[in-house]
Amino acid sequence: MQKANDKLCIEFEVNGEAVSISVSPSTSLLESLRDHLELTGTKYGCGDGECGACSIMLNGKIVNSCLVLAVECHGSKMTTIEGLANGKHLHPIQEAFVKNGAIQCGFCSPGMIMSAYALLDKNPAPCEAEVKRALEGNLCRCTGYRKIIDAVLSVAHGGSAHE
Amino acid sequence: MTPTSAFYSPKTLDELLELAAAPDTTILAGGTDLMPRWTKNIHPTPKTVVDAKHIEQLKGVKCKDNIISVGACTPLDELAENPTIQRASPVLAEAAGKVACPQVRNRATIGGNLVNASPAADTAVPLILLDAAIVIAAQGPTGAVSREIPITAFFRGPGQTALKAGEILTTIRFHTSAGEGTWAWQKFGTRPSMEIAVASVGMILRIEDEIVAHTRIGYGSVAPVPMRGAATEAALLGQRLNEDVLTRCVEAAQDEITPISDIRASAAYRREVIGTMLRRMLIHAKGK
Amino acid sequence: MSRTATETVDTITASPSVKRASLIGARIPKLDAPDKATGLTRYLDDIKLPRMLYGKILFAHRPHAHILSIDTSAAVTMKGVRAVITADDIDLVPFGFGRDNTALKKDKITCVRDELAAVAADTPEIAAEAIKRIRVSYEDLPVVGTVEQAIAAGAPVIHEKTPDNQPFHFDYEHGDIDLGIRASDVIVEDTYNLQRQTHCCMGTAGIIAQFDAQGILTLHSLTQVPSLYKHDLSRIINVPPQDIRVIQPPIGGAFGSKLDIHPFEPICVFLARATSRPVKLTFTREEEFMATPTRQPMMIHLRSGAQKDGTFTFRDVRMTLDNGGRTSWGATTPWISMRTFSSLYRVPHVRQHVDVIYTNNIYACAFRGYGNPQATFALESQIDVLAEKLGMDPLTLRLKNAQQPGETTGQGMVLRTCGLADCLKTATKHAGWDVKRSPPGKQKTGRVRGLGMASMFHVGGGAKIHRSDGCGTMLRIDDFGVATVQTGSSEIGQGSETVIAQIVAEELGLDIGKVRVLNSNSDYKPWDVGVHASRTTFIAGNSALRAAREARGKILDAAADHLNLDSVDLDLYGGQVIKRSTGEPLVTIDKIIRGMHFGRKNDMIMTTDFYEPPSEIPDEHSKGDISACYAFGTHVAEVEVDLETGVVKVLGISAAHDVGRVINQLGIEGQLEGGIAQGIGYALTEEVKVENGRVLNLTFTDYKIPTSCEVPELKMVFLETNDPAGPFGAKGMAEAPLVPVAPAIANAVYNATGVRINELPLTPERVLRRIQESRDSESE
Repeated sequence: MQKANDKLCIEFEVNGEAVSISVSPSTSLLESLRDHLELTGTKYGCGDGECGACSIMLNGKIVNSCLVLAVECHGSKMTTIEGLANGKHLHPIQEAFVKNGAIQCGFCSPGMIMSAYALLDKNPAPCEAEVKRALEGNLCRCTGYRKIIDAVLSVAHGGSAHE
Repeated sequence: MTPTSAFYSPKTLDELLELAAAPDTTILAGGTDLMPRWTKNIHPTPKTVVDAKHIEQLKGVKCKDNIISVGACTPLDELAENPTIQRASPVLAEAAGKVACPQVRNRATIGGNLVNASPAADTAVPLILLDAAIVIAAQGPTGAVSREIPITAFFRGPGQTALKAGEILTTIRFHTSAGEGTWAWQKFGTRPSMEIAVASVGMILRIEDEIVAHTRIGYGSVAPVPMRGAATEAALLGQRLNEDVLTRCVEAAQDEITPISDIRASAAYRREVIGTMLRRMLIHAKGK
Repeated sequence: MSRTATETVDTITASPSVKRASLIGARIPKLDAPDKATGLTRYLDDIKLPRMLYGKILFAHRPHAHILSIDTSAAVTMKGVRAVITADDIDLVPFGFGRDNTALKKDKITCVRDELAAVAADTPEIAAEAIKRIRVSYEDLPVVGTVEQAIAAGAPVIHEKTPDNQPFHFDYEHGDIDLGIRASDVIVEDTYNLQRQTHCCMGTAGIIAQFDAQGILTLHSLTQVPSLYKHDLSRIINVPPQDIRVIQPPIGGAFGSKLDIHPFEPICVFLARATSRPVKLTFTREEEFMATPTRQPMMIHLRSGAQKDGTFTFRDVRMTLDNGGRTSWGATTPWISMRTFSSLYRVPHVRQHVDVIYTNNIYACAFRGYGNPQATFALESQIDVLAEKLGMDPLTLRLKNAQQPGETTGQGMVLRTCGLADCLKTATKHAGWDVKRSPPGKQKTGRVRGLGMASMFHVGGGAKIHRSDGCGTMLRIDDFGVATVQTGSSEIGQGSETVIAQIVAEELGLDIGKVRVLNSNSDYKPWDVGVHASRTTFIAGNSALRAAREARGKILDAAADHLNLDSVDLDLYGGQVIKRSTGEPLVTIDKIIRGMHFGRKNDMIMTTDFYEPPSEIPDEHSKGDISACYAFGTHVAEVEVDLETGVVKVLGISAAHDVGRVINQLGIEGQLEGGIAQGIGYALTEEVKVENGRVLNLTFTDYKIPTSCEVPELKMVFLETNDPAGPFGAKGMAEAPLVPVAPAIANAVYNATGVRINELPLTPERVLRRIQESRDSESE
């Protein structure tokens, strides 16, 4: 890590791409993703780690990017919501969110989808209670969660909850 | 505002201790408590931040000579899922797995949970039950020096610990047998998830011939620090778990805690909830 | 599915002889969902304009004070600070429903969120630091923290022009209360206290303001009411409305919070004017909690009576609203509250008196339900008390008094369709009301279960409070067969875009992917009064349907010409002109349109419609048929109460709603599920706590909205009454599902414990306390 005018140059990999940015030591990862890398799919919701809108995968674990300093991430690997879809093809979790009506205003959706991704990564066939637990750190004000839970279960158990 | 101008991530404890000795320096572990304080200007950002997460010595769970050592920078999710912890001290695994949400547990460390010294710290009560010792290190004239204190001596008040300037919490230690027996830990909140405890109770009981032969009780969020329920223990030890004893225990508990009223609950309500949780846990333990 | 034939739907129901799939009632995913799922959607916070500055506001953080001076010198001189403004730098134009607010405050602070100064700077960090360097000297005044303090003799005066601290009173009456009282065999009365609930939009509030070289102001705004917004904002910022362009980026939730003009909006315009650069101003979550107006806290004193057979006789209501330090449109919520008291059930004599009282608390604005959740809580709680006194089942009592189709209520609302009785029967049936419900037991420890119900009434076909409650549509079909619908309505996450596309696609026989809905720029948006009153599906849907119907006629005429057939023998389906009798495709729609462009006609398909609902502005007595139709619903909640901790767990909710007709099954379920979740929050955990004017809970840790772990078992039934005025028979149903949740839960808690709690939220501590008090009074 190099130091330049109080800014540190850090390198990490995001969505399979190597990037290098120069940030001040007090910059959050959330801010770096949004402002430096223009990965605005990751949202600011509270800055407290209480809403989950900024959830991303960091070294294989789901984290609130508002609670991480960018400088902590030198050498890390991350996946953000922009890294899930494969070209024109939505990731199955994204597809399920769309199909099940799990998205209304959509502001929580990226974080919610990342949490679902983390869950299914670790536990491909969760039960409903496990899904609810895995999403407890992601607040949604529009949907009442039912369709979100259905969407995640539909991916886990192949096919829509309504089919 | 003097924004943070230096960031270090040392690889060894010696380096960490050297950096920690400098003024206006904050040691960063999981960051889940520190980050919001900085970004919301509740605390001024320090001049120097030292990331303690890359020091192998401070990470993971080890077991040697019947002593379990938990590195201060072990994340809570790792702790909750660690087979040694699950086997020897399931009460700690349970509490670590109930902190906030997955995002937070993946970052937050047990050391951070303790150093933050919230009366509501979820892992504190289980460690009190386990008679855990806190290992503290600092830079000495000829390398690192360390001291060890019981966990009950570590907490000094809300946000206050026994750590002196330049000192680092490195390890939490407890005996493998400390967790044996019937155990329970519960936190009470006004919502079933993402909750900071309004009150919490933990217990370890060993019952022989229907007599309580060993007991540890601990309470969270009902005193300036997470506390051991010594009076409750005294009311239990050597007794049968009958209705009289239960009532005396609840009285002892409600007497020894010193809750405050705040936005989350009144002191009176915290007393009642502690009584109810304790009584239910004891009845459940008796049934086991 | 039966459909009531009307003028509105006649022409499209001329039943095609060939059966075909309908988009109406289908589970259509939201058209904007793929972009939202992939993070491509650019919300306000995601937009960066070249040379954009960041705005920040200095809030008073004290509830009541004189401002002696504001010293901005230390902020002005900071590197990267481009403008610092105070009330001295702007025209102080009063705005808000009470005309008692200004963008920045000059002499007097009346609540903690009062805006004193603002900064525009190169970065958000510099702006925040500059705000900290502004020095204000105050003379603190005694704080009026409660309504009681505000009306006490000698109370401090909050606004000089209102020396009694009582800016508004509302009165309503039908029948003769004294007659009603005399006719009653049973009379009950009680006082109900309702708390502040806040919207908690996941995306915090914000705006971007930018002037161009000609003085045209472009706003990226989250407003729910763009047409009125331009008009009202114009006066405050001294820019002619014709020089304001409103762009509405996708929005991270609204729920009524974007109905008013908030001070931060003109402030941002003033910063843009002062710097001649684009300025973005967004709230932190903490600011969102403090400076977003809440749902109205209300104290409702309700007295009501019935005859021995259960017939309702009268209802006498006194309401007191803690208005806070300033007045937004929220002060008018009693207009909606009174409709529930007067018209949910048949009751011959109703009187309502409302006092709106200034305090030094934060103020309130519109929030899903608009005064109805409060009224419904009081009313539906009291009906259960009445039922017990009468020795009747709560269901029987409600059915006896339920409104029926064809009635005109005491307040002059005409119920052309009304599914209330069916809602009552259906929801209770699904909840197992007859089987599961038993009177409260004598159990003292452990956990007990109970069932409770509540119904609701709300406007379902707009609410005519402006001279127009209408919406315009401009529809064009291009040479590739793509229909572009410019609608006055706005998408705020609720799914209106998709519903409008469905309606147009259905009418034009197009694939829904061939319909584009444009709704986010005031340069092309026709007039619409805004997204509120659950009106969009009904009003904008009707307008879109009528525009599409006209376009359909034009296509069929051109096709008939082209094919040498009679247009009555033709239909549109699957992007084709088909033969009505056989379904045989004859020619594609785009080919017909290209023929119009290039052929002899040299014409295009472009239709316009302005739909004004057949409703009326209420008279000076608040009477009249304010909406084109009305929505009804019933919820039954099943709860479990822990008698030793007071924890209430909602196990299940059975909901039946009269929705007229389902347009989008997926969307309507989403509205219901989301509304119920907000209702559970209102009932159990949500309260903005204010003490001596200061807000105590500014985080999601201390303001608790439901999480994924609190989703109860839901049973939903959508009853289709096929309202003759609705598009395909649909009524509005956005606010409805929130309204009856809290009283259904409170009634269930009573059924479980025998303890009636007349205030919200039902926190564990409050519930336990009431259980103990009721035991203490029993043992006395």
